[in-house]
Amino acid sequence: MQARQIKEGALVRGLTRFLSNDRHLILGFEKGDDGVRHRIFHTSLDRHTLLNPFFDVNGALYLRRLFSKGARVMLLLRPCEIRAYHELVKLSQIEPEGIVAVSVDCPGTVSSKERIGGVPLDAKGLVDYFKDPDRMRPACRTCGEKRGVVGDAGIRIDKDGALWAFSYTEKGDALLELLEGDAEEGAPDMLLGKSPKPEKFQTDMEQFSSDFSKCVLCKNCRDMCPVCYCIDCLFNGDEYLPKGDALLNKVLRTGSGTMPGGKEMFHFIRMFHVSQVCVGCGACEEACPQGIPLTKYFKGISERLQGMFSYMSGRDPGETIPYLTFLEDELKDAED
Amino acid sequence: MKGDSMEDQAGKNPQIIGFACSFCTFKASEMAGSLRMKYPEGVRLIQVPCSSRVDPAFVIKSIFEGADAAFVAGCHPGDCHFIKGNYFTRRKIAALKEMFDAFSMKEKLRLFWVSAAEARRFVEKVTAMYDEIKDAKDAGKTN
Repeated sequence: MQARQIKEGALVRGLTRFLSNDRHLILGFEKGDDGVRHRIFHTSLDRHTLLNPFFDVNGALYLRRLFSKGARVMLLLRPCEIRAYHELVKLSQIEPEGIVAVSVDCPGTVSSKERIGGVPLDAKGLVDYFKDPDRMRPACRTCGEKRGVVGDAGIRIDKDGALWAFSYTEKGDALLELLEGDAEEGAPDMLLGKSPKPEKFQTDMEQFSSDFSKCVLCKNCRDMCPVCYCIDCLFNGDEYLPKGDALLNKVLRTGSGTMPGGKEMFHFIRMFHVSQVCVGCGACEEACPQGIPLTKYFKGISERLQGMFSYMSGRDPGETIPYLTFLEDELKDAED
Repeated sequence: MKGDSMEDQAGKNPQIIGFACSFCTFKASEMAGSLRMKYPEGVRLIQVPCSSRVDPAFVIKSIFEGADAAFVAGCHPGDCHFIKGNYFTRRKIAALKEMFDAFSMKEKLRLFWVSAAEARRFVEKVTAMYDEIKDAKDAGKTN
């Protein structure tokens, strides 16, 4: 691992030099008049900002089914987005060859639904602002990894607010080469520390039913989930969520039911499907028009199920997703 | 699970959906039949080519569409016809059981290993499961 302090303006100069090649792109954040959003920068780094305290979409969603070679893309995203990118690489839904993934320290985010004024855009201001955790989204309040320690390289912020670049892989050296100055030994303490370990999630069906009773089955949570990985979703046909003739036949066969039917089943199945790859970014809750506390369930279940296999989604691209591998000598008490 | 209220459900015999691997557990159930052993009629078996064919979505669907419980049964670990299928089943179903546990409904799902020769073991396992589900259901009626 190499570290290098980023001097004033060196990052912008380095990234502008990276963009001078016509086949080079940067996926990062753009500062607009009413908040900060994702933007793919081509040729110029206009209005680029490193930190985005407003969460709307997980940026890894834009990279799904990216297989083209020849272009070089640098990602300057939050740790949860880089982790989702890693999971998609493991699922062969992204070709990582031309991508340099750089995670940037993230002090936390507010929901993009509530347009609160007065949210600072600099790291130290954000850390002060989020001293009151109620200002954060629920997903960020329980975030497992806020530090930029995932991906090919990381940009971290030390206690004085200075930026540091770290390279974790060979590809990540590309970021360091863009920056002026020499490699340094021993970086100082960083602004963000390790996150506490989550508590074991426990609930019951009554609580689950009442929380999800408002669901209208728009399936926005599925569409905006970066790691909901099935190419053809189970719920697209009539087998799981019947409509029209299939619905009438089902009612004639099994009796009446409230509409939309199958919403608990939908969330339950989706919760299991993403259990090992869920990064807990809360994009589902952000997309939900009904304000259902999806993060609580999806994050709680995924942390519990990943804990069974000592796995953390997106932590290391070299790990295999637990359901796709096995050990012969394990889970002796699985049988009843 | 939904639709019927507790009173409607009470007194009805439980229905259990079983996903049985066609090389071991389903063979064991056929053998139990030819040996005239009886197991509860509420147990409905679905034959699958291998226990790893069972997407946990099937199990969840069966539970949410009215079954009182479900089980997945396959060959003993190491004896899979497809060499390693049931190792994947073990991981997936163990995780699904953990998830059911998080929703306080652990008793609704079980995982069995039954080889083709173990007709008696198959009958014992499903009967014990059926009785426990039935007792729990009857206890729910009196409350």
